[in-house]
Amino acid sequence: MSQTPPRGWLRLSGPALITGGLGVLALLALAPQAPGAVWMAGFLAILVLAVAWRSARIAEVEWPAPLAPTRPRHENAPPYVSIINALPDPVLVIAAHEPDDLTGRRFVMVNEAARDLLRIQYDAGLLVTAIRDPQVLEAVDEALFGGVDSQAIYEVGGAQARVLKAFAKPLGTAPDGSRLALLVLRDETDIRRAEQTRADFLANASHELRTPLASLSGFIETLRGHARADEGAREKFLTIMSTQAERMARLIDDLLSLSRIELNEHIAPQGETDLALAVMDVVDALGPLARERGVTLTPCLPARGEALVSGDRDQIVQVVQNLVDNALKYAPRGSTVKIALAGGLTAEAAAAPIRPQSARLSLLTPDHGQDLYAALRVSDEGVGLKREHLPRLTERFYRVEGQKSGERSGTGLGLAIVKHIMNRHRGGLAVESVEGEGATFSAYFPLADQTVTRPETPRPDAVTKPS
Amino acid sequence: MNEHIVKSYEDELNTLTAECARMGGLAEAQVGDSIEAVVKRDQALAEAIVGRDERLDVLEADIERKAIRLIALRQPMANDLRKTVAAMKIAMNLERCGDLAKNIAKRTLVLTEAEPLTPLTRSIERMGKLVLGRLKDVLDAYTASDLDRALAVWSRDDEVDEHYNSLFRELLTYMMADPRTITACAHMLFVAKNLERIGDHATNIAEIIHYEITGAETIGSARPKTDDLAREV
Repeated sequence: MSQTPPRGWLRLSGPALITGGLGVLALLALAPQAPGAVWMAGFLAILVLAVAWRSARIAEVEWPAPLAPTRPRHENAPPYVSIINALPDPVLVIAAHEPDDLTGRRFVMVNEAARDLLRIQYDAGLLVTAIRDPQVLEAVDEALFGGVDSQAIYEVGGAQARVLKAFAKPLGTAPDGSRLALLVLRDETDIRRAEQTRADFLANASHELRTPLASLSGFIETLRGHARADEGAREKFLTIMSTQAERMARLIDDLLSLSRIELNEHIAPQGETDLALAVMDVVDALGPLARERGVTLTPCLPARGEALVSGDRDQIVQVVQNLVDNALKYAPRGSTVKIALAGGLTAEAAAAPIRPQSARLSLLTPDHGQDLYAALRVSDEGVGLKREHLPRLTERFYRVEGQKSGERSGTGLGLAIVKHIMNRHRGGLAVESVEGEGATFSAYFPLADQTVTRPETPRPDAVTKPS
Repeated sequence: MNEHIVKSYEDELNTLTAECARMGGLAEAQVGDSIEAVVKRDQALAEAIVGRDERLDVLEADIERKAIRLIALRQPMANDLRKTVAAMKIAMNLERCGDLAKNIAKRTLVLTEAEPLTPLTRSIERMGKLVLGRLKDVLDAYTASDLDRALAVWSRDDEVDEHYNSLFRELLTYMMADPRTITACAHMLFVAKNLERIGDHATNIAEIIHYEITGAETIGSARPKTDDLAREV
């Protein structure tokens, strides 16, 4: 690296030196009356010219000409930088000097996709602050110092987990002598997730569908056999069979919709939806069921537009519906189910408990803690849930022990679906419960308009952050 | 960022942070692999994890040496001193995470010889993902000097505890139902405990980040706690 400054100096001053040398020779020719200095000055001039020639040689050898296009570029072709910036795959250019110098590995160029994925805020910086996966770093090192192409699998954890394939390629040497490598990341989450979902679907479906199927084939056998002539029994069995068939259909619907949601979980939804309207729709739709059960639904909604959230309307309606439906299942006759909605809350406020002495657990916490949310709270006055069940509520087919089967039994997928939809919407889900008094589920979605004045949130420690 | 007049001082400070981040990456990989080894009953992966643990030890010693050297030679003040001390303490926590991951890997080697406990492994997997996510979040917060992210990790420790308690009960029922599974279940219990400890280390790191950025001592008793041991038995 010590060569760097003189080389630059020589290059810049090459033409100047040639001019200088010629100038000295010209002076010699003009001033022949000073013979003592002639040899001295002549020697000096030759020396200067030699240095100039050498510096020109250095420039020639070590400065490769800029990549000359073999054909002239189209006049409308944009600069390469803007093309790289627009690429959908994250691209980074990494520069490094020596293998054992950790601070030496820096990213010197990142495109928009890379900024987005790796949350990079600067144009250049230390590579380890952006990517610390040892396998990816090794692949980059191989490209930088081994000069070979290399690949690695890069798994980004977190709520919306991703699997990427990292390709590292050597890019030669930069003008300042550091080595360069290109790192391209390709998102393979879809492929991985499709495999995983198919495996899960088969495992779940085969296991859960077997129960109603067994009961169906049992009844068919009975109807063919000794109940063949029994009019009353036939009617009774057919009723049970149709309930079981409906249950199977519901299960398949839920499994399919869960698979669909899971496949798209890492893709943020488009569009805006007024949460208040979604709640109104669900209250209208579930009204008859509530009356049948003798339960009152009391929605408490804010003004229109206050709970405008970004998200997929159908999925948001599904969240509201599943939560209210759940509450209806456990609400005793004559009680009320409260559906409260509020906008402009921070994540902490949205998930804050509303009953003292309650067991409370966040089932899903959003990644970006600083957004504002609209929170939906559905409370019932049922038996409540024991604390030890809370962490497992969103598991597929998890049923609270001692829960009555029969008309109340759902598919066991409702809350799993809610959780996956909330995760896709970058929202949160919390549950709190007091045994014997009822349970409250809070689902909170990020507001579409984040510019609403933010309420002051006290820090737990009240320490001010130095800016 | 205020730059130092002595360039190599700046470099030394940055090297510390960079090495901590790299060590964090290694620790994350160890923890992630150990969870995968338990879940998929992967003996070869478990052995690889045990073999790789030494790299973390070497890195920790290296960070400590560099930090002490920096304190001795440069006498860092305020911000720089906190940065140096934080790097040292974080390296210590990460090294512990690595040890716990190694322990999980060792138990995996025993577990693969017994019959699989399928529903339990799913619970372990979910708890593992949660813990790994917290470790990732806190390291992201460290490299980005993001106090809010660090505080978010710090205030969410109760989720891991709840999972641990729930798993504890599940294991008890298994052991009562079939005494032949007791050996495997006991190992699983330690795996869960190790994961819970890794979560605690993530919380510790969040506290260190808080100290590094604000200079204020952490934060007392505001953190929600659900460690009610009497409830579990």
